[in-house]
Amino acid sequence: MYSLPYKNGHYGQFGGRYVPEILMPSLIELEKAFNKYKKDKKFLKDLDDLYKNYSGRPTPLYFCENLTKKLGGAKIFIKNEGLNHTGAHKINHCLGQILLAKRMGKKRVIAETGAGQHGVATASVAAKFGLKCTIYMGARDVARQRPNVFWMEQVGATVVPVYDGNQTLKDAVNSAMRDYIADPESHFLLGSALGPVPYPEMNTFFQAIIGREVKKQCREIYNIHPDYLVACVGGGSNAIGLFYEFLDDKSVNLIGVEAGGAGKRNAIRFKGGKYGVIEGYKSYFLQDENGNTLPTHSISAGLDYPGIGPGHAYLKETGRVKYVSATDKEVLKAFQLLAKNEGIISALESAHAVAYAIKLAPKLAKNKNIIVNLSGRGDKDLFIITEALGDKKFYEFLKSKV
Amino acid sequence: MQKLLKKLKEKNLLMTHVVIGYPSLTETIKIITTMAESGVDIIELQMPFSDPIADGPVIMKANEIALKNGTTTKDCMKIMKDLSCIVKIPLLFMGYFNTIFNYGIEKFCKDAFKAGCQGLIIPDMPIEEEEQEKFYHYCEKYNLAPILVIAPSTPNDRLKKLAKFAKAFVYCVARKGVTGEKTDFQKDFQKYINNVKKYLKIPLAVGFGILEKKQVEFVHKHAQIAVVGSVLIKEYEKNKLMGIENLIKKLKK
Repeated sequence: MYSLPYKNGHYGQFGGRYVPEILMPSLIELEKAFNKYKKDKKFLKDLDDLYKNYSGRPTPLYFCENLTKKLGGAKIFIKNEGLNHTGAHKINHCLGQILLAKRMGKKRVIAETGAGQHGVATASVAAKFGLKCTIYMGARDVARQRPNVFWMEQVGATVVPVYDGNQTLKDAVNSAMRDYIADPESHFLLGSALGPVPYPEMNTFFQAIIGREVKKQCREIYNIHPDYLVACVGGGSNAIGLFYEFLDDKSVNLIGVEAGGAGKRNAIRFKGGKYGVIEGYKSYFLQDENGNTLPTHSISAGLDYPGIGPGHAYLKETGRVKYVSATDKEVLKAFQLLAKNEGIISALESAHAVAYAIKLAPKLAKNKNIIVNLSGRGDKDLFIITEALGDKKFYEFLKSKV
Repeated sequence: MQKLLKKLKEKNLLMTHVVIGYPSLTETIKIITTMAESGVDIIELQMPFSDPIADGPVIMKANEIALKNGTTTKDCMKIMKDLSCIVKIPLLFMGYFNTIFNYGIEKFCKDAFKAGCQGLIIPDMPIEEEEQEKFYHYCEKYNLAPILVIAPSTPNDRLKKLAKFAKAFVYCVARKGVTGEKTDFQKDFQKYINNVKKYLKIPLAVGFGILEKKQVEFVHKHAQIAVVGSVLIKEYEKNKLMGIENLIKKLKK
C-alpha cells in the first residue's frame, strides 16, 4: 500500500514491538503464523465462510434518505457493521484471530475490552471454537457497560474487572498483557489496530473487509463514488478497516473522528497527545511531561483510551486522513437524530462518526456521497443513554425491578 | 560502568529494588542508604511509570503512589546524583522505555551518567528497535551498562543476538509472569541457566519472586546475583526501615 507503507513492523517511525523479552517468542511465533495463513487459501476460505454464515456478512450499505433530505446536502450512507453477529465490527478480527489461534494449537485466549464489544465478540468465538477465555475490563467500564459483561459470562468467558489506574480500556490492556506474560502459551486476542507487532497489521488485514464491501456496494448497488468516508477512532480498528481499501485513491476523502468528550476532559490524541512508546507500540499518546499516560474521558467506553493505532499516527502525519472530533453532547444529538429519522440505534462510539457527517453534509453539494461507518449497534448503551437523556420511565422501570 | 564492573568481581551478590518516590522522596533516600548499610551490593532504582506492564500488584501500587506524590524524571536524576555520592555501591536505573524516550534518549543517558548511574534496566526496549532508537548506542557512548533481560522461553538464536548487546551482567527472569509472586525453583531452572551461560559469558542475575534466604542460596549456586524486589516493599510497609535492615541482614548472612 503506497499510502501506508509497512516495513519491519513500522509505519514510518510508528509501530514496533516494545515488549518484555518474555513475550518476544510468542509474538514472533504469532507474526510468522499470520504471515503464513494470510496467504493460505484454505484459511481464507474458512474465514470467508465464517464472515458469511456466522457473522452475517456482507453488512448492508444503507442510504439514509430521510436524514439526507433533512440536512439538505450530500447523500449520507451508512455501512451498518452493527448488524454483525455480536453487534459490532469487532467480530471481524476476532474470527480471523481465533482461526489463527486454532491453527496454532492454542487452548486459551486472553483479551481486553472497553465498551465490551470486543469482549463479547472474543467470548463468542472462543465459545464456538472451544477455547477457554478470560476478558479484562476496567471496573468503570464494567459499571457502565454491564449488559455486555452479562453476555460475555453467558457464553462462558471469565470477566475480570480491573481496578488499576483510570479503570478503563488502557488499564484492561495492561492487565491482559500481564496475564499474557504469565501465560505466553495462550493467545492474546488484542482488539484493535494497535499494540505490538503483529497486531496493528493483522487486525487491519482482518478489518479491511469493511472497505472492500463498501467499494463493491457503491459500485454495484448505488453506482456512486464514495467522496467521503467517516469513521470513529478509538484504537482505530473500524476506521482503518473502512479506509484501507481506499488509501491509494485520492479522490476519496478519509475522516477519522476522535472522542471530544466534555471540555478539557476528552480523548483527542491528535490534539493533546505527543509521541510515546506505551503498551508495546510507538504512536501518539495523551501523556504528561514525564511520559505517564493521562486520564481520558468519553461518553463512549470504546473511545476512552489515551493511545491510537500506529497506522493512524502515520496517516495523520502524511495528511492522507483528516482527524476531527465530536463532543459528548454532539454525539447524543446525532444518536437521537439517526434513531428518529432512520430507525437505527447506533452505538455511542459510532455516533461520533454520525455527528461529524451531520455537520459535513449540509456544507457539500447534493451530488456528493458520504459513507459513515456505523461500527456497532447501541443496545449495549441502554443504561448510559437513558441516564444521559434523563429518561424517568426507564428509571421507574429499574426501580421496580430491584 | 566502572563501579559496577568492579563490584561484579565479587561473588554471591544481592541486588535490591526500590521505586523512587515511594512512599516519598525523602523515604526513598532513607531506604536506599539503609539497604547499602545493611550489606546490599547493587540497587536498582525504578523510575515510576503509569503503565508498568512487567510488574505485579505490589510494585505497580508503589508506582501509582510515587506518581501521585508528583515524582518526576528530574527527581529521579537528582536522587541518583545525591545518592551516588553517599553510598559506595553501584546504583542502576530501572524503568520503562517511555520515560526515557520522553526525556530524550541521548539527554537521559548523558544526565544519568553525570548523576553516577552505572546501568539501565529497561525491559520494554528490545534490541530489534535499536535501529529506530539508538538506545544501546547512547548507553555505550555515556558508559552505562544496558542490562538485558532474558526469559526461560528465550530461544538460542535470540540468546546469541542478545549476547552482542549485553554489558556487565544479564538479568534472567526466573519464571513466566510479572514481579512479586513466589517462584518455585524447579529442576529445569538449572538447565535454563546453564543454557544461558553457553551464550552469554558475563555474570548472571536471577530475579522475580525471590522472597527468602533459601531461595537466595539456591540462586547463588547457579548465578552471581540474586535480585530481591517486591518482598522488600511489603516488609517496608509492615516494619519500615528496621524491617528492611533485618530482612537484608538475614538474606546476606
